[in-house]
Amino acid sequence: MRRGLWWWLACTVTIGLVVLVLSPVLTVVTIALMAACGIGPDGSPWLTGRDEILGLHAYGYLLTHYGSWLLFSLALAVGSVLVCLAVAVPAAWGLIRHPFPGSRWVEQAAALPLSLPGLAVSVGLVAAFPAVRGPWLVFAGHLLFTIPFMLRVTLDALRGYDLIAWERASASLGADAWRHAVWVVLPNLRHALVTGSLLVFAVSWGEFNVSYLLNHGRVQTFPAALYDTFANDGLPLAAAATVLFLVVVIPVSLGVQILGRGRTAVEQGA
Amino acid sequence: MLADASLLTQRPALGLLLCLPLVVLLAALVMWPLVQLVLQSVDGGPGAPWWRAWSDLVSVPRHRRALLTSVGLSAAAAIVSTALCLMPAWLLARRLIPGGAWLRMVLALPMSFSGLIVGFLLIVLIGRAGALPALTGLGSGLAYTLTGLVLAYLYFEVPRATLTLESAIRTLDPQLDVAARSLGARPWQHALFVVLPLLGPALLATLAMTFAVSLGSFGVALLLSVRGIALLPLELFMQYMAPPTDRALAAAMALTLAAIALGVGVGLRRLVEPRYA
Repeated sequence: MRRGLWWWLACTVTIGLVVLVLSPVLTVVTIALMAACGIGPDGSPWLTGRDEILGLHAYGYLLTHYGSWLLFSLALAVGSVLVCLAVAVPAAWGLIRHPFPGSRWVEQAAALPLSLPGLAVSVGLVAAFPAVRGPWLVFAGHLLFTIPFMLRVTLDALRGYDLIAWERASASLGADAWRHAVWVVLPNLRHALVTGSLLVFAVSWGEFNVSYLLNHGRVQTFPAALYDTFANDGLPLAAAATVLFLVVVIPVSLGVQILGRGRTAVEQGA
Repeated sequence: MLADASLLTQRPALGLLLCLPLVVLLAALVMWPLVQLVLQSVDGGPGAPWWRAWSDLVSVPRHRRALLTSVGLSAAAAIVSTALCLMPAWLLARRLIPGGAWLRMVLALPMSFSGLIVGFLLIVLIGRAGALPALTGLGSGLAYTLTGLVLAYLYFEVPRATLTLESAIRTLDPQLDVAARSLGARPWQHALFVVLPLLGPALLATLAMTFAVSLGSFGVALLLSVRGIALLPLELFMQYMAPPTDRALAAAMALTLAAIALGVGVGLRRLVEPRYA
């Protein structure tokens, strides 16, 4: 390990970035903890007329007022995972094992939503399906931005394997194509499928740009609930809502990192 | 003797069939909306020529300024985040730093935060009554300035840039470092003549991606609503939501954002492909 000038510079920048990423998260969690104990940011007790949102009551308040939003977000995330598995995994297998004229083109088109600004896509979706505007259109928007991740992870995994050697082995043991898919291909893909699912879940759970426009005025996704509390309620409630958000997203993100061991280079619309 | 020869044959028809749901989904949810956007943007309204919305976009100073600010801010965020994240990416890829796995987890954390969350985190830290001003008296209201906006964009670009660059650096052969050193290259010569040309495509791809993400983000702008700085995504949102809505103008803005993001992506790729393909 050579520790020249460059190493020290790189370390300084890295530590700076770590501080940038961690300090606001830790601050919000601290504020939420203090608020749960009834202490304000400056150390004195909160003075407010709204006792029902102080202390641990804040979480009860959030669950009664935004509980359906939370459930909607969870349903969207789980639904996205299921549809992505059903659509992207067979497609990835088809693209790699049975390429057809134009399969390169399909692969590139599937990555397209990631390089389009989310807001532009959602305005387009509303323009194309004005009658469906609502929960189902939000679901469509989420699918659009999650399928590329699942497809990429599955394609990367398939490219790393010698598929023909597997088929030779399966065929020599008398398996048909169906048994081969269920007992050889899927088990070998399980790591990629779990990583992809967690990734899709995390992306869908945090998505705001697309959902907010596609679903204005109805039951919203949980990030929109966050926007509501940021804009209309005090700091303790907003911090509590953020903690609820983080409680779901941090374990999932860590899962992606541990399973992907940092090899999954991923992009997401912010 | 193979029991089932059909396993080993390549069947394009089967491949197409397996891709069919994906193709249908892409056609319905990407291509069709884009076509509708084009149609909506040229529907100038009663008595107006078809280019009305497009000429508004360019001629109304407010919209023009929003467009230029958005492009400038996104380009700045893309360049700064790519340059800065090159360093953690290098340390992580070459395992030059202890606790690399933990560092990577921390840096990847903002991945699933939307711009909205990032905006709130910054308000809590450096807003008017933020934690940093309360503790040190410094930085009060910084979140609502251009600096705050740049920090917010940097915040959600860090994981994207770091992870992409790290996987690119991992594909470089570490033997090249040894070779360059044995031939007497100084560290800067090694960086400039060996690493940079090999990493060029990945750097440009990272730039294009971070640029596209910044260009489309409106959660930060919505929450911070920096005075005097109009951003195109926010203008577009207002055209769509605020009562005197102008669907044609909103469609023109959406198409402009999409075209710029795609154009930059394709342009940067063209820049590298002839030499490195």
